[in-house]
Formats: sequence, structure tokens, C-alpha cells
Amino acid sequence: MFRTFDHTADVGIEAEADSREELFAEMARALFSLIVERPEAIEPLRQVTVELPPDDDDYLLFDWLNELLFRFDTDRLVFGRFEVRLDESGLHGTVAGEPLDPARHQLGHEVKAITYHELRLWEENGRWKARVIVDI
Amino acid sequence: MGSGRFHGPLEQLSECVWRIPKSYKEGMRVDGLIFADENLIEQIRNDQAPEQVANVAFLPGIQYASLAMPDIHWGYGFCIGGVCATDPEEGGVISPGGVGYDINCGVRLMRSNLFIDEVRPHLGQLMDTLFANVPAGVGQGGKYHFNRKELRQLMGQGVPYLKRRELATDGDIAHTEARGCLPGADPDAVSDRALDRGAKQCGTLGSGNHFLEVQMVDRIFDPQAARAMGLEEGMVCVMVHSGSRGLGYQVCDDALRQLRHVPRKYGIELPDRQLVCAPVLSDEGKRYLGAMRAAANFAWCNRQLLMWQARESFAQVFGRSWRDMQMNLVYDVAHNIAKFEEHEVAGIRKRVWVHRKGATRAFPPHHPEVPEVYRAIGQPVLIPGDMGRASWVLVGQEGSMSQSFGTACHGAGRVLSRKAAVKLAQGRRIDQELADRGVLARARSWRGLAEEQPDAYKDVDLVVEVVDRAHLAKKVARMRPIGVVKG
Repeated sequence: MFRTFDHTADVGIEAEADSREELFAEMARALFSLIVERPEAIEPLRQVTVELPPDDDDYLLFDWLNELLFRFDTDRLVFGRFEVRLDESGLHGTVAGEPLDPARHQLGHEVKAITYHELRLWEENGRWKARVIVDI
Repeated sequence: MGSGRFHGPLEQLSECVWRIPKSYKEGMRVDGLIFADENLIEQIRNDQAPEQVANVAFLPGIQYASLAMPDIHWGYGFCIGGVCATDPEEGGVISPGGVGYDINCGVRLMRSNLFIDEVRPHLGQLMDTLFANVPAGVGQGGKYHFNRKELRQLMGQGVPYLKRRELATDGDIAHTEARGCLPGADPDAVSDRALDRGAKQCGTLGSGNHFLEVQMVDRIFDPQAARAMGLEEGMVCVMVHSGSRGLGYQVCDDALRQLRHVPRKYGIELPDRQLVCAPVLSDEGKRYLGAMRAAANFAWCNRQLLMWQARESFAQVFGRSWRDMQMNLVYDVAHNIAKFEEHEVAGIRKRVWVHRKGATRAFPPHHPEVPEVYRAIGQPVLIPGDMGRASWVLVGQEGSMSQSFGTACHGAGRVLSRKAAVKLAQGRRIDQELADRGVLARARSWRGLAEEQPDAYKDVDLVVEVVDRAHLAKKVARMRPIGVVKG
């Protein structure tokens, strides 16, 4: 479950899930809901793996979103499916999506960057939650 | 900290200056000072921007005060519209957040010898041509391709590199802040990731609040300064607002990551992680400065190429060369940048790093860095407003040197969040409304227009009024948009 929220010139995303792994996937869905208008229309035609070294949970979430944004920006790939595994060696992600097709994907925002401002990841009553503000 | 109204102290010092005393928070090294009138300060109180002004006052080596312009709004780390100067000799820091993701985002204005009556009948065709020729929109690539070696040369040399490629003239260079090149750029400090993101984007507009506008000079306020810039009422001009595109975002991002644990290393306590910084004289600080300058030079080249494509488009439509239409660059200013400048602080002249995050340099008459042709009138200051109302041309005044490290505002400042603006636009045709106001808009997306609709911004006239009354910069000309290209 995710939602976006207001921040004057920019936009925030927040999500919650039963596990840290699902939370990371949910935040990725939130990110792509900003980038394309109908993320549910993204076909999982291409699979890509993401490997990240360990860091504090919040920094790792930052790095994860950042890496997905980078892949979108350079390879023009949009993603709709996300699987994440976290262990002592860091983050292991498998994501699926397809090349951006302007005929089928209406672009939403140009997300310039993920920011550290109010970046938070925490556990509350057995639920994992996170929020982050992205620069538009 | 979060959204909501600012409840801290804001003491009025004079008609246009408000103070957050350094006693407000333990750790503030100097006061916070905000330039605003009574109406604007009420809007400014509505979010956490003043809190951010106070937070910037924590930075080691900060001089005089943490400053904010009348167009400030809530950012991340630094507020947008913030100015802070640090002294390297006093342990002063450089903070990538004080420059922003869009390094050397800025504005340029080009004049012409065309007047509104000759352009109006062809405006539809002109806007279609500009929209076809000027790449705009999310991640859009452009027609100029630079390989890695060429990109590194471009970042090292700035606009003079484009002159060698016959994409810029001596006049363009002379009328660009810092002559379109910050010395000391270190292209090797720019990561491959940043080069990947920027390779196809030099000469592209991007999206968000970036634009290319065809404008007319609506009203002249200072005839002498207007004459020096070649501006007359009714004249058609082109204003470009863009920055360093994906390359700059990545340089900032890389730096924030490299500096993640640096404040701890140097014992620097910060109230917000986005303020992460390094001493100017540290290896980490120097590395960022080298990369930041390279990205700044990339941005000047980007705006140069955007202007070049506008010249080509005008030539296509009017069947004359751009030189024949005297489409000369009036000036180009950066408003997201850090510069090493000489200023007087408490009676002592010193060199400081001035961070301008959504703020424009506004040097007064006779300052050595002002181009020869403008020496007598002061540096042109270009303030883009919203796409329905106006933009402004000002010139820097002496008051900027004594009050704001030679700085004025940079725009209107948002009042509505993007979501609120989209909600307000439901069921409306913003392009039609603009056309009714005499502005032809060409945009890639409805959302882009909705988010950037005039009502999302403060009235730029009110912001400029404060800057003028505070003697930071003086009004020269009010510009009215007649055509807009948006991402």
C-alpha cells in the first residue's frame, strides 16, 4: 500500500507493508506511479537485477530508489514488478518492466532525484513504514 | 519537522527585512534574515521554509546571516530562495544541498529587432516550429551528440568550447555570467553515471518549471538601462529557463552519497541530513567543487544550445538569418550555484563561498565582474514569473552588496503544491485559458501545464517590488509571455 503526498514544489511518497522487503517493493511502485501515468499497464518483458551493498535501512532504501531512477533515466526502462531480498550482504532485487513506449506510456513527472530530506524507515506495531521526498 | 505553519520568531527589522534570532535554536551560528513585506511574510509563515533558514545557520563558517529572498518556499534541506556564504579560512563548508540538484539552473534572455505586430500573425507557426525543434519533456534527448571526450572538453571549457564548434559567438560569451565557464572545473570528478545521464541531454529543456518563452517587452521602468540592453516596449524576446539536466542531478546525487558520513568525520552537527557538507578545504569538499563547476559549465552550454535552436526556429519562420533579426543574448544568469567571491563582512573584505539556491547574483554598477556594456547600469537580473502573467528584467544595486552577498530573488515562488494545482485544474483547459489571455502554450502533457498554471505561483510583481524597495535590484522592464514551450 502506498500513497503520494504534497510538498510545495516537490512530491513525497510513503508506503507500508508487512515486511521490509515488501516495503522496498511498495516504495518502488510508488516511485513509478509518479513517473508514468498508468503503471499497471507496464508489461514485465525485461528482467533486470539490482545488487546494492549493505547500509543503514533508510540509506539502503534511498540507494534502491535511486538505482531504479538511474536505470529509467539512462536505459529508458519502466518497471512494474519488484522483488527484493535483504541480507547481511546487502540488497538483491529482481525487477521487471519494458522499454518506454510513448505510444502506450504517458509520462508523468520528471523525477530529478530522491532526497534525504525527511527520509524515514521504521517499524510500527509489526508494520514496516517509510517516507521519502523526491525532487521534481 | 514537517509540514504546517512556522511558529518560531520572526521579528521585523525594517520595512522589508525579518529576523529569526540565533537564540531561536541552539546550534545556530548566525541570525536568519528574510526579505519580505507584510503580505509575503504571511504566506512564508505558512510552511516550514523559515525553519530551513534557521537550519542553514548551523553550517560551520557561515558569515553574517542565513538569508532568504521574498520568493522563498519550502525545499529540502535548504529552502528555495536561500543564500549563505561561508569562509574557508574559518572552517567554512560547501554543501551540495545549498546548490541543489539542478546545478546552474538559470535563465537567459535574448532580444530581437522584431516587434509584436510583425510576430503576432505568425505566432502559431512560430510556436509549432519551436515546439518541434526544441526538445522538451521527461528525459528527452536532443539533436546534439557529444562523445565522452567531447563532453569532458565541454565541461572543462564551457561556452567557449561551443564557439569552436560554431554554436556560440563572442557576444554570447561576453553576455553570460562568468563568461559561460567557471575555472577550476574537474570533468574527471564527474562520474560515468553522470555522463550517461547527460550525454544526450545538452540542448534539451527538461520538464517541471523549465520553459522556453516568447515574450514581449510590456513596460520599461528604467529607460537608460533598457537602452543599454537594447530593449524597447513591444519588442519580441526569448527567455530560456533550464539547467544541467540529468548530468547535474547525478553530480549532486553522487556528492550527497560521498558526503554521507563526512559531517561525522569532521565533527559537524546538522539538523537535517540534506544539509550534508564538507569543509571547502577538505579533499571531499574540493572534489565536489571540481564536479560542481563542470556541471555548471554543462548547464551554460545547455542554455546556449537551447537559444541556438530558438534562433534557427525564428530564421525558419521569418525567412531571415538570426543575425539579421539581431537576436542577441542580453544576459544569462545562474540561480542554483556556489561561487567564490569577494565580499565585505563586518568591515573586513574577504573571499567567501556564496551558495545561491534559487537566488540570483545581482552585482551593482561598476563591479568588475559586470560586462563592460552594463558596467554603468549594473548586472542584468532575470526573474521568470509564471506563464500567464509576467517575467522581469532588473539590474543589481549597491544594496545587494551590503545586505545579501550581491544577491536578489530568482522567481515568483510556488504557493500551491503540484497535487493541489492539478486538483484545481480538473475539468479545465489550461492551454485554452492561456490562449484567452494572449499566450499560446505548447506542452508535452496536460499535467505539466496544470502543475505550472499561473495560480500555482505567487504574483511575481509583488516579489520584484520587495527586491526593488530593499535596493537589492532595480526594475528595468516587465516582460509579458506570448508563447510558451513546456516539457
